Amino acid sequence: MEQLGLILLNGLVYGLLLFMLSVGLTLIFGMMGVLNLAHASFYMLGAFLAFTISIRLGFWAALIIVPVLVGLIGAVVERYGLRTVHKHGHLAELLFTFGLAFIIGEVVPLIWGRTPVPYRVPAALDFPLFSIAGNAYPAYRLFMMAVAIAMFLVLYLALARTRLGLVVRAALTHPDMVGMLGHDVPKVFTLVFGAGCALAGLAGVIAGNAFTTEPGMARSLGAIVFAIVVMGGLGSIWGALVASLLIGFVQTASISLDMPLGTALMHLGIPVNTAMLTDLWQITIARVAPVVPYVLLILVLALRPRGLMGTRSA
Amino acid sequence: MTLALHVTGLKKAFGPTKIIRGVELQVARGERHAVIGPNGAGKSTLFHLISGRLPSDAGQILLHGQDITGLAPHDIFNRGLARSFQVTSLFPRLSVFENLRAAAMRTHGCGHAFWRRLEGFAPLRRRAEEVLSLLGLERRRDVLAGALAYADQRALEIGVTIAGGAETILLDEPTAGMSRAETERAVTLIRRVSEGRTLVMIEHDLGVVFGLADTISVLAEGRVIASGPPDQVRGDPAVRTAYLGAAAETLA
Amino acid sequence: MSAPAQTALARPQSGAALRAMLPWVLAALAALILPHVVPGGFGLSLLCRMGIAIVFALSFNMLLGQGGMLDFGHAVFLGLGGFLAMHAMKLADAGWWIPLPALPLVGAAGGLAVAILAGWVSTRRAGTAFAMITLGVAELVVAVVLLLPSVFGGEEGLSGDRSSGPPLLGVDFGTQIQAYYLIAAWAWAAALLMWLYTRTPLGRLANAIRDNPERVGFLGYDAARIRLLVFSLSGLFAGIAGGLAALNDEIVTAGNMSPEASSAVLVMTFIGGVGTFWGPVIGAVLITFLSVALSTVTDAWQLYSGLLFVAMVVWAPGGISGIILAHAPVVRAGFAGRLAPAYAAMLPGFFLALAGTLGLAELGFRLQSVRNGASPRPVFGMALDPQGVLPWVVAAILLLAGAWLLRRAAPAAREAWQEASVMAQVQ
Repeated sequence: MEQLGLILLNGLVYGLLLFMLSVGLTLIFGMMGVLNLAHASFYMLGAFLAFTISIRLGFWAALIIVPVLVGLIGAVVERYGLRTVHKHGHLAELLFTFGLAFIIGEVVPLIWGRTPVPYRVPAALDFPLFSIAGNAYPAYRLFMMAVAIAMFLVLYLALARTRLGLVVRAALTHPDMVGMLGHDVPKVFTLVFGAGCALAGLAGVIAGNAFTTEPGMARSLGAIVFAIVVMGGLGSIWGALVASLLIGFVQTASISLDMPLGTALMHLGIPVNTAMLTDLWQITIARVAPVVPYVLLILVLALRPRGLMGTRSA
Repeated sequence: MTLALHVTGLKKAFGPTKIIRGVELQVARGERHAVIGPNGAGKSTLFHLISGRLPSDAGQILLHGQDITGLAPHDIFNRGLARSFQVTSLFPRLSVFENLRAAAMRTHGCGHAFWRRLEGFAPLRRRAEEVLSLLGLERRRDVLAGALAYADQRALEIGVTIAGGAETILLDEPTAGMSRAETERAVTLIRRVSEGRTLVMIEHDLGVVFGLADTISVLAEGRVIASGPPDQVRGDPAVRTAYLGAAAETLA
Repeated sequence: MSAPAQTALARPQSGAALRAMLPWVLAALAALILPHVVPGGFGLSLLCRMGIAIVFALSFNMLLGQGGMLDFGHAVFLGLGGFLAMHAMKLADAGWWIPLPALPLVGAAGGLAVAILAGWVSTRRAGTAFAMITLGVAELVVAVVLLLPSVFGGEEGLSGDRSSGPPLLGVDFGTQIQAYYLIAAWAWAAALLMWLYTRTPLGRLANAIRDNPERVGFLGYDAARIRLLVFSLSGLFAGIAGGLAALNDEIVTAGNMSPEASSAVLVMTFIGGVGTFWGPVIGAVLITFLSVALSTVTDAWQLYSGLLFVAMVVWAPGGISGIILAHAPVVRAGFAGRLAPAYAAMLPGFFLALAGTLGLAELGFRLQSVRNGASPRPVFGMALDPQGVLPWVVAAILLLAGAWLLRRAAPAAREAWQEASVMAQVQ
């Protein structure tokens, strides 16, 4: 039972982290129709910048400075890059963000090396909070949760209560009509793109030290975040939240399952011929788990492109 | 005699907004049929429903007695109905000639062949050349469609629609945005391409409509409120009530 | 220059059929002579890689440039084609009669089979949704390949010996030069087939769905079906490249089909130019050459290719072949001289920006090695301290100054080009 509690707790933290990443992406996708392939790269950038800044100025300074910095980089990218290629259509925009991800993926190892950097949890939060299922539960995990929830509340209020939020919501449901609201739409795009990147940067700051900060972190998370955005439905914040938590729980739970696939299928009453493809049936569920988001991504796009809670299709 | 197009009880709503509320339309084979009506009457939506671009909520569409309701656009085309678009819809990075050739491929036996040269289809080539001269665009043959002047693009839009030789043709506002002279050229073109075919066209220029159409149907608030020869429609009191303003003056 | 993207259309002129074949004859002659011109075994293996890259890039452009489909997982077809070919090679080792020159056919079958499967899912959608599905497929296939070591050899991959099979007409393909001629012959034939395909009904329909998929439906064709056919054929040719890679490298690993490999073919194809048939050939040759030539000089070469790629996306979406196409009529009309002053005015800015970019990248790389305790190699022959502030500031100033100068000189250059090309048209 405690084991289950641990899985739920870790799944919640992981799910909220995924939500911090996917919410910016889904807003950008929903409003501008641009799938920002570099989104997870901004998350990585956030983690590495936080590492460097926390050495000089400490973690708490990094927590403030890095999201602002990453958000500014994002805004500049939108203003001087994405907007230029916009006239060439969605394919060109996709190619641009792909190129951006490629460049960030090369710049990071160039500056910080190809091995993980020792980005550590701040000493003030580096203590076990309580013990669950024989494991000491780190206080920092709870802090991550608190930051994610605070971010969600701020975002929710900003969208529900401000004029800018109104424009953003209008743009999500009727992207062709925003121009008529009398707002400077390109400026709103720049703001939303910057804010989305800032959120990804914030996720990098608080997750980089809990997990590992290394140059492959963008790639391993990138496809998962796309899967979430697609599953949740384009531009749907609630959809992104539900899909993030779902994937968070599923991934966390399956990682702790050591049962071989063949045995699991037999438990489910599905007979398999274990003489064929012997290595397939001996793979543990834990090793198959990373594949699940890709399967979901493909299936949802092929069968239900509007996602679970979205109203428009990709 | 079977009708070229027979629409019964056609309905379409977008959310709570009912655009088409039970359209009845009969188009005889070989006639030039104009659909007119005030803005927002649902004329373009009607074309989208007939051509398979949008699914209808209720009703039936018969093409030469064959039920085409709910079919995909390419299936409807292959049963002999082609349409043009109000907003020009061409292949901008192909030349004028290649636009016409692509448009006629299906009906000239090309299929999806990737083992035969396109040049080897001589009738296809002749057909594309024929439409090219019909449009009067010979001098623009190798210009990219995206680089054409607006009036030429509108002409090519009609050419792409008829190149396949469909028996029934739907033209959606073929003269929209044209000058007086360009409109006259377009009318001549439409008259020529519709010879021996069934033509249904949406048109707001009533001068064009009365000069060209054998039959006129008036669409208002999602229903056909009158249908018949121009003189009969002109005198219809229901049309006069529905159709006020500048249009009513032209009618009188 | 925002060179207008040109179509891949070869204008049909029945009398010019022979003239159209001329480049192919020249290419065949070049392929015959090249190994005797370039120096040493190193040059020969470079030529082999180029041949494989050309087939791969051309197959990729069947999707991107000709069909408007952005495939983020194209290396999957090369990789699985390669694995199947490698299995065939191992069977040949074990005594089966499988002649080595037929291996690319095995690869083609593998690529085709996987493309039909993947395409059945992905080609129902177009645009961004299609691209995302291919992204998912790419990650999924690599993950599955690593999960099945009995079939794909796990991390080490599969390796074989191309010369241990039955010799064909006394040739066992053990030497690199024999392998080269085999690869060159296959690459030439595959490229020719892909070119002929552009002149078929399906090739033209691919252009049509690229430009306007909806209209294709109203002309009697199912756009999804066209996409599936084009996708399958593209997979087939990528599979040929995979078979060639298997017999050239004598090893196939999951790395051959990794997302990095898929990115690489996208980058090289786009830099070469997606708007023409021959653009990807330029890209394949250039990037393959640079990857070998530059990677010995700098560790930042991947970054440079990425920067070049983004620069192309933003300023020259037609790639190198687009730039050539935009200037060919001007040069032919004898107006190149008119462009020279305006273009020359851009050079100072260009070189400053280039120096700044290179400086920043190389400093960054050296900062890394200094941290690891090595003494820094000189930057362009200068002994710079990457931990000092001054070199960084100088490089950044060079970059900014260069960018500023470029921005100032660009409008004049664009105007000069527009003027010259209008005049060339009038002539």
